Amino acid sequence: MITPEFVLFGILAAVGVAASVGVVAFNSAIRSALCLVLNFFVLAVLYFTLNAQFLGITQVVVYTGAIMVLFLFVIMLLNIGAEHFLNEKFDYKRIVGLAAGVLLFLMVGSQLLPALQSFNHVSALGDYGTPQAIGHTLFTEYVIPFECISVLLLVGVVGSILLAKRKM
Amino acid sequence: MFTVGAVGVVIRRNPVVVFMCIELMLNAVNLTFLTFARYQLVNPTGTDIAAQRSAMAGQMMVIFVMAVAAAEVAVGLGIIMTIFRARHEVDVDDLNLLRG
Amino acid sequence: MTDNFQLVWAIIGLPLLGFVLLTLAGSAIEKAIGRRGLSIIAVLPILLSLAISCLLTQKLAGLAVADRIHVVQGAPWLSVMGLNVPFEWSIDPLSMTMCLIITGVGSLIFIYSTGYMNEEREYARFFTYMNLFAAAMLVLVLGNNLPLLFVGWEGVGLCSYLLIGFWYTDLENAKAANKAFIVNRIGDWGLTLGIFTTMVLILGSYQPVADGRILSFDTMQAAIRISSMSHPAWTTAAALLLFIGAAGKSAQFPLYVWLPDAMAGPTPVSALIHAATMVTSGVVLLNRMHYVFEVSQVASAIVCGIGAFTALFAAVVAFGQTDIKKVLAYSTVSQLGYMFIGCGAGAYWAGMFHVVTHAFFKALLFMGAGAVIHAMSHNQDLRNYGNLRKYMPITTATMVIAWLAICAIGIPGVGGFAGFYSKEAILGAALANVDTTVNGLNVAVAAGWIGIVVAALTAAYMTRLMWLTFFGGEERWKQIAGEPEAHESHEMVIVTPTEEVSDPNGFFLATAPHVEEIHEHALSSDHVPKEVPASMWAPLAVLALLSLGGGYVLANHDLLQNWLAPVSQAQYLSGGGEPEGLPLGWISVGAAVLGIAVGILYYRKGLPKSEGFDDSKWSHLRLLARRQFGFDHGLNEAAIDGGGLLANGLWHGVEVHVVDGLVNGIAGIAAILGKDLSQVTKGYVRAYALVMLLGGVAILGIMFLAGAR
Repeated sequence: MITPEFVLFGILAAVGVAASVGVVAFNSAIRSALCLVLNFFVLAVLYFTLNAQFLGITQVVVYTGAIMVLFLFVIMLLNIGAEHFLNEKFDYKRIVGLAAGVLLFLMVGSQLLPALQSFNHVSALGDYGTPQAIGHTLFTEYVIPFECISVLLLVGVVGSILLAKRKM
Repeated sequence: MFTVGAVGVVIRRNPVVVFMCIELMLNAVNLTFLTFARYQLVNPTGTDIAAQRSAMAGQMMVIFVMAVAAAEVAVGLGIIMTIFRARHEVDVDDLNLLRG
Repeated sequence: MTDNFQLVWAIIGLPLLGFVLLTLAGSAIEKAIGRRGLSIIAVLPILLSLAISCLLTQKLAGLAVADRIHVVQGAPWLSVMGLNVPFEWSIDPLSMTMCLIITGVGSLIFIYSTGYMNEEREYARFFTYMNLFAAAMLVLVLGNNLPLLFVGWEGVGLCSYLLIGFWYTDLENAKAANKAFIVNRIGDWGLTLGIFTTMVLILGSYQPVADGRILSFDTMQAAIRISSMSHPAWTTAAALLLFIGAAGKSAQFPLYVWLPDAMAGPTPVSALIHAATMVTSGVVLLNRMHYVFEVSQVASAIVCGIGAFTALFAAVVAFGQTDIKKVLAYSTVSQLGYMFIGCGAGAYWAGMFHVVTHAFFKALLFMGAGAVIHAMSHNQDLRNYGNLRKYMPITTATMVIAWLAICAIGIPGVGGFAGFYSKEAILGAALANVDTTVNGLNVAVAAGWIGIVVAALTAAYMTRLMWLTFFGGEERWKQIAGEPEAHESHEMVIVTPTEEVSDPNGFFLATAPHVEEIHEHALSSDHVPKEVPASMWAPLAVLALLSLGGGYVLANHDLLQNWLAPVSQAQYLSGGGEPEGLPLGWISVGAAVLGIAVGILYYRKGLPKSEGFDDSKWSHLRLLARRQFGFDHGLNEAAIDGGGLLANGLWHGVEVHVVDGLVNGIAGIAAILGKDLSQVTKGYVRAYALVMLLGGVAILGIMFLAGAR
């Protein structure tokens, strides 16, 4: 059944997939990065359609705002030019990789799609995706993973500083 | 998306681009998680506690994945920058010091 | 009374004890009590063994004929899975006869060697080996089962090697010793296979033996008689293999080549081992296993035929030899051929008869030759002798008796020398034989006629030897200008060096033919031969007596034949007797007299030009004979070159291609595999990623496939 939600999803999905292909396909690193940014935005909108408002915003802020900015900084700093694709000799790995990827897609897709067909109802939920709900769950049931994550972030910070410390 | 990311990791030689493909994969996973979590609550015959909890679990998972991704990007890019200070070339194929 | 039979342990044990004593303390004893004392200690064991043998023989003779096989059991040796091979000795007529010969002739030779080897530095070592030999030979004849016989067999082979190579510092002697051992080994191979085949025969008869002693001579006969009826092919095979063993030890064609070279050893060794005892082991073996040979006509015919051929071949070759010991060596080979003719014809006792008489006169001949060599400063060339009867009367007299004995001179019906009786017994058995017929040819009869021809030849070459040495009137050594050269490399012309050849460290230079403490002058033209000391001519005298009357005594009323009957009597072949209507005695004596006459005629004026030192004057045939018609040389070439070719071919074909190929191939495969697999760990990140991707795909695929079923 073609519902408006379905159409919206279709458009968003198409753009997202196109963007992801673009990430892989562009020779220039900057273009890949910008495609990725687009992809993340699309994903955020998708999250909104899934009633995960908090996560959608987080996606925009964390992923696109911080991570992609970092990527772009690095690309600009290192002045990474276009790859010389054509220099590569005919690498069997590309073909095999592509084939494997297609295979993977087919396998996973064949399992998922039938299941997803049955998801047609969109019903109103309670406070499913709100910050309050997430916060509540996060700090009660998942508090230990939360602490671990904070340690991980700490490690990440320290590591970055260490790595960046030489010379510069 | 996952597939595209996976293929990209194999194909591309620019390490930054490889990284981006990894991010792509992670995001694909995020999306999957959220989708399934959300659709635990579809069933109108009353959402039981287990479904509720698994839905919330999905969102939790996504949060954690995001956090991990952020940390990983920070560190990874730091590594890449360190490597490229040493040599001014950028090619994953040259990074074979872990050869055994 | 039967307890006294346990003394058989002493017969073997005494020489063994002597061996051990001399090995451990030989030189110490010599230093302590001097050479005289050492001699006594060396000779005493065998004298005692002789006494005990006489005692036991007398005891055995006192028993009834049917009881005359007595087995003395000892400690178990091989005892496995129902096969029991203990140390056991058989006291029976055959073993006692051989014991008497070994200990009797042996002690005479031991006494002789105390005189002959008196100038040797290695005196003690000589008697050590001689005692070991006596012990081994006694084990061979007394052993009651095939493995024990084999032990003795190998033991005498070893002692032969040790004694031939006694003066091992000379390379030629060492080579001769090697040759003896190796050719013997070929015989041993045959014997081993023969023993196995015999065992198969015995087992095939399903005769149970109470205590599992299936390889013992006293239990074997019944079993083999039964199974040889139903397995004639196996019996022939066993017989032939055993004969190969006998041929190796008893120097039959083609395994005779070691015996002439064995003359490199000291003369007492030649007398004892290569005349009287070891070479007769083959005949002993045939006697012990005669029931295997009886049933197989083919085997008996082959034995007869080869014996005849050997006799003829050796007799012809003897004409070309100029070394006195070599002549006697070929004579031994020839006489051994006679013994095998007798055995092949079924008269195994006749073979043994000839063993006994041959022991007497051949040992006498060798010892006499030794006396001559000793007197002529160790020069062995016949061409240097002549008219020695003037100087060595006793030796001459004893040698004449031996010569007449080997020529088998006698007057039929009246009496004769020892060889007369035994040779007549053999030839009679051969000519009267009706069973050894192959393809219509009665091999035994043919062998008998060949034997008569060989009798004439024997007489001729022995006369040649006697005339050139003792008679003839011209004393040829007086014509030597300087030292006589050796004309052939394998002729043992031993030249005594005129200067000392031992260095201060006690090592002897390899050029010295042998070592003497007292260096003698070379045989020069002013040499005066002297008669040998009493320790040397006394045994000669004893043996001369035996050669004179021994045959008569043993043949009287068929004494030996009846004595040996319990062990050697053939059941199926006509074992003995005279051919009808043929005056065999007169014919053989006539042949001998003919040979002697020809010899005397030819050599009465001394050494003819055609046999002198100048090779170019030698007749072509004689030159061929001297080289054994090239047989020895050919055999050497075939063995050495052939063996080399075989080894090389095998090495190249098998070792290099197959084995190395296999090993290197596996290594190569491992290397290639390693190289390919090492691609995994190359450090190539994208490859890792690819593999991960592929792995994930594969696992998912498997899961889906498994789930889809």
